[in-house]
Amino acid sequence: MIRIDFNRLRFLVIDDNAHMRRILRTLLHGFGTREVYEAEDGAAGLEGFTHYSPDIVITDWAMPIFDGLELTQMIRQPGANTNPYVPIIMLTGHSEKKRVIAARDAGVTEFLAKPISAKGLYQRVLNVVANPRAFIRTKSYFGPDRRRSANPNYAGPERRKGGKADVIKQQPLLDKAKSPT
Amino acid sequence: MSEKKANLAAVSTFADHEVILPPNKLKKAVQKVKPDAKVEFDPVARAEAALAELAADFTQWMEQECIRLDTARKAVKASGLNQGTCDALFLAAHDIKGQAATFGYPLVEPVADSLCRLIEHTPDMKRIPLGLVDQHVDAVRAITHRNTRGDSDANATMLAGKLRHVTEEFLAHANRDRPEYLEQILAPALAPSEPSN
Repeated sequence: MIRIDFNRLRFLVIDDNAHMRRILRTLLHGFGTREVYEAEDGAAGLEGFTHYSPDIVITDWAMPIFDGLELTQMIRQPGANTNPYVPIIMLTGHSEKKRVIAARDAGVTEFLAKPISAKGLYQRVLNVVANPRAFIRTKSYFGPDRRRSANPNYAGPERRKGGKADVIKQQPLLDKAKSPT
Repeated sequence: MSEKKANLAAVSTFADHEVILPPNKLKKAVQKVKPDAKVEFDPVARAEAALAELAADFTQWMEQECIRLDTARKAVKASGLNQGTCDALFLAAHDIKGQAATFGYPLVEPVADSLCRLIEHTPDMKRIPLGLVDQHVDAVRAITHRNTRGDSDANATMLAGKLRHVTEEFLAHANRDRPEYLEQILAPALAPSEPSN
């Protein structure tokens, strides 16, 4: 069995709505986290990301100055900051298909539609901690592997070139923990 | 393995992409426990309890969000529909859409969602019907002020359904020359909201 020691995780919460920041802080403290930093827009969020080096970023989408999508694109710049691999959970009222795909293509790790629930947030955090994904860099994308699983029934062309070895199996910590010692 | 090496990502290069295994910095937070180990506390239950303690403030917060929406509506009336007033109205409605259910007003959410769709998907912002905006804002305020909590109020459900219907009819007409866009905005949500328990 696996357990997350939230006390060892540092979060950065970016949302322009003070009520939502308070709710997120309350939930994260409830999980056992002590270090929760807040920012009220994308610019302050980027500054907080550089300053606090969070383990996990939780960001809203719709925000003034620059939004959560632009913030994600700025974080996912290899070489531009200390941790372009940081897990980013996008918490948003946008749940339309095109929005979810845009978030995925910007490099968001997990997507969580509002209204928020303790269970939903916990599951996203558990997933990014226990099932870290490989990163993919192409000419037009840098971010978590968008293929969450191999589909044995997929019949279309292989869009990644480089032979069959292009997917590296990475055993999730969750599976490792489930396996007998 | 040296600390420097441990902090390096493992990179495999292929014809048109690289697969990178970043150092797992979150491993520190993973604890493997025996299945029969005593659970000290349920983090989800504790977070829900913490949120319940906050609930005493939700009525006041919802009222503040309603005032913000009303203020944005008044700004539209005073200054007309421009990028600034439209953005403020959309953000106010969008925040209500995302928070109303958490605050205990689930029937406000579909009204706010309908208003968001009206603002976002009308091709020309100058053509957003202000009468319909008014009806949405008034409905949000009415449902909130009548303290219609829960999801079983027939009047609020009917009001939300009617506003949604009128909005969708308007959007279908306004986007009649953009069938692909229309199909996109009519597609079901990919990320349905999750039950709170």
